[in-house]
Amino acid sequence: MAKPETKTHAIDISAISGDKAPVDLSNDRVSVAVEDLNLYYDQTKQALNGINLDIPQKRVTAFIGPSGCGKSTLLRCFNRMNDLVDGCRIEGKISLEGRNIYEKSIDVAELRRRIGMVFQKPNPFPKSIYENVAFGLRIQGIKNKRVLDEVVERSLKGAALWDEVKDRLHESALGMSGGQQQRLVIARTIAVEPEVLLLDEPASALDPISTLKIEELIYELKSKYTIIIVTHNMQQAARVSDYTAFMYMGELIEYGDTNTLFTNPDKKQTEDYITGRYG
Amino acid sequence: MDKLERSTSISFSQWLKSGEPWIWINGAAISISVIAVVGLIMILAVKGLGHFWPGEIMSATYQDPRSGEVSRIIGQVVEKESVPIEQLRASGLKLETDEEFLSRYLLKLGNRDVTGTDFAWYLQVQTNTVEYPQAAMALERREWGSFYGFLHQVKQADQVVATASGEELASDAAWQELQTRIERVSQLHDQIEQLEKHEIGAINAKLERLRLNERGIELDEGMSDSAVKSARAKIEEGRAQLDQEYQVLQKQLSQLYIKVSRDSITAVTMDGSSIELPIAKIVRAYQPNSLSLSGKVAIYFSKLNEFLTDDPREANTEGGIFPAIFGTVMMVILMAIMVTPFGVVAAVYLREYAKQGFVTQMVRVAVNNLAGVPSIVYGVFGLGFFIYYVGGSLDQLFFQEALPSPTFGTPGLLWASLTLALLTLPVVIVATEEGLARIPRAVREGSLALGATKAETLWRIVLPMASPAMMTGLILAVARAAGEVAPLMLVGVVKLAPSLPLDGNYPFVHLDQKFMHLGFHIYDVGFQSPNVEAARPLVYATAFLLVVVIAMLNFAAVSVRNRLREKYKALES
Amino acid sequence: MPTELDGHTDHISQQFNNELNEIKTHLMEMGGLVEQQVENAVQAIIDADSGKADEVLESDHTINSMEISIDEECARILARRQPAASDLRLVISVTKAITDLERIGDEATKVAHQAIALAEDGAAPKGYVEIRHIGEQVSKMVHDSLDAFARLDVDQALTVVKADKRVDAEYATAMRALVTFMMEDPRSISRVLNVMWSLRSLERIGDHSRNIAQYVIYLVKGKDVRHTGLTEMVERFKSD
Repeated sequence: MAKPETKTHAIDISAISGDKAPVDLSNDRVSVAVEDLNLYYDQTKQALNGINLDIPQKRVTAFIGPSGCGKSTLLRCFNRMNDLVDGCRIEGKISLEGRNIYEKSIDVAELRRRIGMVFQKPNPFPKSIYENVAFGLRIQGIKNKRVLDEVVERSLKGAALWDEVKDRLHESALGMSGGQQQRLVIARTIAVEPEVLLLDEPASALDPISTLKIEELIYELKSKYTIIIVTHNMQQAARVSDYTAFMYMGELIEYGDTNTLFTNPDKKQTEDYITGRYG
Repeated sequence: MDKLERSTSISFSQWLKSGEPWIWINGAAISISVIAVVGLIMILAVKGLGHFWPGEIMSATYQDPRSGEVSRIIGQVVEKESVPIEQLRASGLKLETDEEFLSRYLLKLGNRDVTGTDFAWYLQVQTNTVEYPQAAMALERREWGSFYGFLHQVKQADQVVATASGEELASDAAWQELQTRIERVSQLHDQIEQLEKHEIGAINAKLERLRLNERGIELDEGMSDSAVKSARAKIEEGRAQLDQEYQVLQKQLSQLYIKVSRDSITAVTMDGSSIELPIAKIVRAYQPNSLSLSGKVAIYFSKLNEFLTDDPREANTEGGIFPAIFGTVMMVILMAIMVTPFGVVAAVYLREYAKQGFVTQMVRVAVNNLAGVPSIVYGVFGLGFFIYYVGGSLDQLFFQEALPSPTFGTPGLLWASLTLALLTLPVVIVATEEGLARIPRAVREGSLALGATKAETLWRIVLPMASPAMMTGLILAVARAAGEVAPLMLVGVVKLAPSLPLDGNYPFVHLDQKFMHLGFHIYDVGFQSPNVEAARPLVYATAFLLVVVIAMLNFAAVSVRNRLREKYKALES
Repeated sequence: MPTELDGHTDHISQQFNNELNEIKTHLMEMGGLVEQQVENAVQAIIDADSGKADEVLESDHTINSMEISIDEECARILARRQPAASDLRLVISVTKAITDLERIGDEATKVAHQAIALAEDGAAPKGYVEIRHIGEQVSKMVHDSLDAFARLDVDQALTVVKADKRVDAEYATAMRALVTFMMEDPRSISRVLNVMWSLRSLERIGDHSRNIAQYVIYLVKGKDVRHTGLTEMVERFKSD
């Protein structure tokens, strides 16, 4: 598949609509670059097919597409979670700040600290709220109580959770509501100060209000982190993201700025999917 | 009528369809299991614990239906049953009665040294003047079992100090005299035991070590003559000192023995003859017929306490079973200490690290099949591999000075625990694997995504969360190990162990020693004892105790597991 | 351009299909009424037929209420379906188109008022030729823009835009002629002014039709072409 025409639109819509200029990809620094990525399960089954894509820094990029289109698989390539899957083989290149993360010399644990991930279902550890947030630091060997306290507070504040839990930091995290748990997981992830946050359907198990809180949080976090979000909820992608990539059957069909993609997509498959014609 | 019948048949088929029969069948199955379990425990408890109750002593005249002789009998009624008269006649008794069934008593006569039999059956019709004399006395003795009779005189160094006034009345003065003297003797016995078992035992242990040192010097060819000499001198010195200490203790001991044998009593047996008994041989004396309820309860608990905390006497048929309880618990704990880390590590490797494929599957099948191997096979394996091969090699390498008598090359606590650990290993592996499999992928990934390595994830997240499952495995393992007898007979259990595997002598825990075990004790007392009838209640009591011990071990593990479960409960949903 | 907009019939939700089709149908119904109104108004002036003018005035109420009900339908779809891409553009185009249609209706009633005033005077004044000519053209424009909407025909929409240029030019010419006429014969000033008002309304109708045509281009191509030069527009969207 040819590289999607993201930088050179056939029509420069910004010249027409004028007042609110959409984010232009060419002005952003590229954080993660994917080049000719192919991914196979079990030798023959190809899950990703020739993906090329540049993820801009400190922006929210959303991956949308029908179930099984490979968007989660692609997301899990960024922090090498697919390494855990038996028989999974990857060709091509993913660069973080210019360095290929699939190089042999890369320390995967270190990479995962730099590229944090939040999963579909809130997955707090069966520990206290404090210990959940401090987990990432503790495995780095940080024991200084003052440092830990500070990071825990900063992370919980960063995840807009501090006010709700500051009086019960040492209670079990499992007693929290689903939305709180998911924000705790985000706090836990940002505690190790990653550069990139991968969110794998972070709100799909939550109620609408919690979902809105998470979306609001994403909006706040993008000033500090590059965020990549996979979502089934197209409206959510439209609400939170600056860029959207539409994937279908392991291929990247269309990638562009969210405003354009949701009002006037280039490809018929995209159009069919976002208008609910896919089927 | 017709209509009615149809309606009932419809309702019956509807009843079948409603699924209610299944509920009834299930309920019935559950009830049967509950009744079986409760019944088992009740029988064990009643038959076992009833043994310690001080039963009343019956005195009667009895006309022997065979010879027609009239004699006097004294004893405790143990059982009463009806027998068809035909059966009695067939056995050659001449009975002149019209009744079809006759009842007969089983009396515990005691006085094995006098009569030669402990128990005898007596027909009720032949007994006359049945009475329960207040003065009838039961003695528990260190030899020859119980004694029933009447107190006559209390003597000190062959001088009469008190005389009972007669058969019918217990003389307060004489009785009190007897009790205080029994108390004195019991204290003296404690002292003797302290001396014999602990102090002289300690000296013997030290002497044995010196002997081994000496032997070690003999075997060590690399030592220079002067070194050998000085070492020998040191050993001799130590030995002389120990001998001296031993002499002192021995003197104390012989004095104690003289003191103990000072007192005696004379008592009248059921046939009226008088017999002299040294008080040193009496453990406990009571008059059950004149005891109040509270007095009986006191005697009961004193006997129960003796059962739980004392060493056995008289080929295990009397006294306590403390060494067996201790041995069982210690072996189970050792087994748990050995099997848990081993099983958990194996399960972690199988589930977390091994590549899932044909080989892993085969290993799993093999592990599962190990659980089905008869336990005696493990015993044979333990004997052949652990004791003869491993233990023999250990002796060759480290305990050469003790040869030819083996140290670890003989059945013992370590090998018994290890054999049982092997026996219960599959249970722990399977349960742990099950627990590991149940931990949500999301939690592992959450940890990995924070930059934890696989080992860190395992150690900090996965294993704590799998701990309830490990405890489940351990509970099952303990339940199985505590009840196992057959392999133990090959690898370390004996009917009577001279000392506990844990004591004050270096090295304190004696893994090489043989030990006693409740399960084997039951077998030994029930089938190997010289006096099966007398020991039968002890079999029940011991069996009950075994159940209680296993239940307590299980409850301890279950409560730990429940706390862990509570801690890690979420995320299972 | 792979996007197919014909019919909005292939959504997974049949109900959504129906709702989208319904607003289109209602738009066309409203468009039909407005078209008729414009024709009647022009005819009323030319034939001095105050009866027809009254018809025009009466139908204006219907058009107003249709505008409101279609607007409501669109708002409902926005709220409940959150349409995206072509669906979103359809709903937006419809809401805008009905505004323009309603304005066309208003202009037609203005023409009808002038027709009534002229009919009371009786005599046929100067300028009817222009009214007839421009009137016919804008009627066609209204018709064509609605037709383009119905068939999502960009080419036809472009012809409407072009026609609007022509109408504007003709309107300017007619104005000059009528001003000259007024200077020659000051007594006719009041009547000629009526004619001028009518022409002005007709010209506005043309502008609104052009707007509708531009919505069609937005709907089909996804680009807003308001305030874009005609030649540029034609260059971009002319079908191959």
